[in-house]
Amino acid sequence: MSIQLLIFQILNGIGIGMIYFLLSAGLTLIFGLMRFVNFTHGALYLLAAYVAFALTRSGISFWIALLLAPLTTTFVAIVIERLILRHTYRMAHEAQILITFATALFIQEMVILAFGPLGQNVSVPPQLSGVVFLGPYVYPVYRLAVVGVAAVVALLVWLLIERTKTGSILRAGSEKAEMVGLLGINVDLVFMATFALGGALAGLAGVLAAPLRGVDPFMSAEALGIAFVVVVVGGLGTLSGALVGGLLIGLVQSVMSSVWPEGAQFMIYASMALVLLLRPAGLLGRN
Amino acid sequence: MGDPILLIDRIGVRFGDFQALSDLSLSVEPHAIHSLIGPNGAGKTTLFNALTGVRRPTSGIVLFDGRDVTRIAAHTRVHYGMSRSFQVTALFAELTVEENLRLAVQARYSREGWVFWRSPARRTDIAEEVHQLAAEVGLAERSTARVEDLSHGGQRSLEIGMALAGRPKMVFLDEPLAGMGIDDVHRTKELIRSLRSRMAVLLIEHNMGVVLDISDRITVMAAGRKIAEGSPAEIRQDPIVRSAYLGSAA
Amino acid sequence: MEARMFPNATTFVVLVLLLGLPFVVPTTLAIQIAAFALGTLSVSVLLGGVGLLSFGQGLYLGVGAYGAGILLRDFQLGLLPSLAAAAVLGGFVACAVGSLIVRRQGVYFVMLTLAFAQMGYFAMLAFKRFTGGENGLTGVPRLLSLFGYAIDDARTMYCLAAGIFFCVFLLTQRLLASPFGSVLASIKQNEARSEALGYAVGLYKTAAFAFAGAIAGLAGGLHVLSLGFVSPNNIELEMSQRLLVMGIIGGVSSPAGALAGAIFYEAVAETLSLIWPRWLALIALLLVAIVLFVPGGLWSLGARLTDLARRRKHG
Repeated sequence: MSIQLLIFQILNGIGIGMIYFLLSAGLTLIFGLMRFVNFTHGALYLLAAYVAFALTRSGISFWIALLLAPLTTTFVAIVIERLILRHTYRMAHEAQILITFATALFIQEMVILAFGPLGQNVSVPPQLSGVVFLGPYVYPVYRLAVVGVAAVVALLVWLLIERTKTGSILRAGSEKAEMVGLLGINVDLVFMATFALGGALAGLAGVLAAPLRGVDPFMSAEALGIAFVVVVVGGLGTLSGALVGGLLIGLVQSVMSSVWPEGAQFMIYASMALVLLLRPAGLLGRN
Repeated sequence: MGDPILLIDRIGVRFGDFQALSDLSLSVEPHAIHSLIGPNGAGKTTLFNALTGVRRPTSGIVLFDGRDVTRIAAHTRVHYGMSRSFQVTALFAELTVEENLRLAVQARYSREGWVFWRSPARRTDIAEEVHQLAAEVGLAERSTARVEDLSHGGQRSLEIGMALAGRPKMVFLDEPLAGMGIDDVHRTKELIRSLRSRMAVLLIEHNMGVVLDISDRITVMAAGRKIAEGSPAEIRQDPIVRSAYLGSAA
Repeated sequence: MEARMFPNATTFVVLVLLLGLPFVVPTTLAIQIAAFALGTLSVSVLLGGVGLLSFGQGLYLGVGAYGAGILLRDFQLGLLPSLAAAAVLGGFVACAVGSLIVRRQGVYFVMLTLAFAQMGYFAMLAFKRFTGGENGLTGVPRLLSLFGYAIDDARTMYCLAAGIFFCVFLLTQRLLASPFGSVLASIKQNEARSEALGYAVGLYKTAAFAFAGAIAGLAGGLHVLSLGFVSPNNIELEMSQRLLVMGIIGGVSSPAGALAGAIFYEAVAETLSLIWPRWLALIALLLVAIVLFVPGGLWSLGARLTDLARRRKHG
């Protein structure tokens, strides 16, 4: 593999990795706080991507989509949480999972109803199309922009979680949800806020990914699988785990797509199996 | 007075920043009733969890019957002769008394649990043991009742029965009398006393009358540490214990 | 729910259903139902018997299907050996995966079953030299015989499929009503207590997982036999989800729910898909309704109704 290609793939890997980080950050926060697997997470990613598709198809600027899509998914996340999920907190885990799965399935079918079952393309915004020169090499502007946006958002989320009072409540809640309630804090509100944040991040991931991989109705299941892998590899419940896991998986996928293209996706999951075997808590996970 | 059946050497258990148990040492003789008393939060159940393999101690050694069991899995310890009951009733709620006890007895016959080609009822020896156990804990009449339909005292009695089913060398009883009515308390007290001939007992209890009556030895805990240890008479008179815990109950 | 009995009224009802099915629906559909019922049984055994929710039984079905397909086509293996191999393959892979994941706490475990299902799908694509990739595995021989009887038309194929399902169903009933089944039930109701009694919970869960994997593998083998080729759909995530949906709708507290779920789902799919292509959305709503209001699924509804009818008659 030439140096140009290697650098290209590493940068690609970081780009996809950052998107995977955004996707998994929400999942790990929700799982850490509420101990349940939110199957609608992938559906929110899907929705955001299709919002981007629908808006850009009608000639609306991608920048608007970048703003509107995460807002839409945040809104939908809150609606789902208030309307459906809130009633499941007292249920057995299996029931919660099945209900979120059914919700995700319903959303997927509605998307197919609105947009048809085939995949579509989303074009890169004109201001970000084209290439940039990194020394003697060229690289697409859009992919660099993705890294930039994701890095900024990652920093903001990290600051929110680690440095603010709201964040410490969220972190405390992920250790011991009952404790937070006993401290007089409205647990309901904390759950809803966590969901909203997770939904926003998943939405951002979806809209950023759309020009890179297009949109199709089955990206929700695929996204869920990848988010799970990232969480397993990086470690459950920590943002840094989601970052490390996301980047690692992004790199594996990118490098593999040059070395063994058909096996790229498989290697993602094989990496997960390897981590499970050697370091079950995840690379940055604690017990 | 031979070797103790249970020897705990400087056990410590830590949860993150919180030290639940510090530097706790204790020994129990093979046919003794040894009670653990102390205020709530003293770490008594945490100690039980460390001893029975539910939670790995962060320091210290547990020796049972000559073996180092500190890192041995919970289910293996049962086969070495350790058995426990739970503070919060942990029974198989949808099954009957009989079925609960049968599961407990069946566990002792390690191969029986893997039999998948015939009904459990074929083992009449196990059924016989179940009858005896039910009678021993006063549930002979209610053996076909579902756990959900038992009184609280009945459930606590079944808890003890489950712990005895494994014919252990030592049984760990976690507040067996909690919430029982006066008749049940009396009957259970005599049952525990009668266990002495067959096994050692480590007992967590708040009912001081019973503890002082049946114990051979008492250890007093507070804030994860041992603060006193001795015979019932000694403990009754210990000034630290009196001020910290017993109050007027003695 | 007390300890299970074997055999019981359910055994008889399932037998009647299987005998009557080809007279009520087209035989090709009946074959599909029988094969799916077997796959769904693997979901029911895990969820109803041990309390393990698996989003990835499709992986073992796919492993069985591709395995049997390759053995039939490239190694000219006979009918029974191929089916046996499919079951063994499914069970073996499930044992390997299970040993990695059964000790995880509840929801994490569910997540991992899905991740491994995805892994299987991408493995199928990665090794397309052996599996045929997106095109599937074609060229599997269709002229088969069992002890001299030719299995060459829909009627005989249904007898094979239904017969296999019924045998596995009987085995499952027997297993759940045995000491082994009672240990699984104890793990489902209170895992900590089961461990405290002395049961090696991890081993039991892995064994149950392997058994379910073998059932799913067998279902995959049956699929290949009936269709003559392996579709990549057999190992897609959608298959895992379909088996789960059938299991929940039919009800997991009884293995008979697997048949009820398969009948319902396939019947609905056949009829509704002609009216509204997005009928899955309705299934999603039904799923929510069942989880909330009828957690025992269709089979428990049936049981409740017959109970009522019996009480009316005697009361």
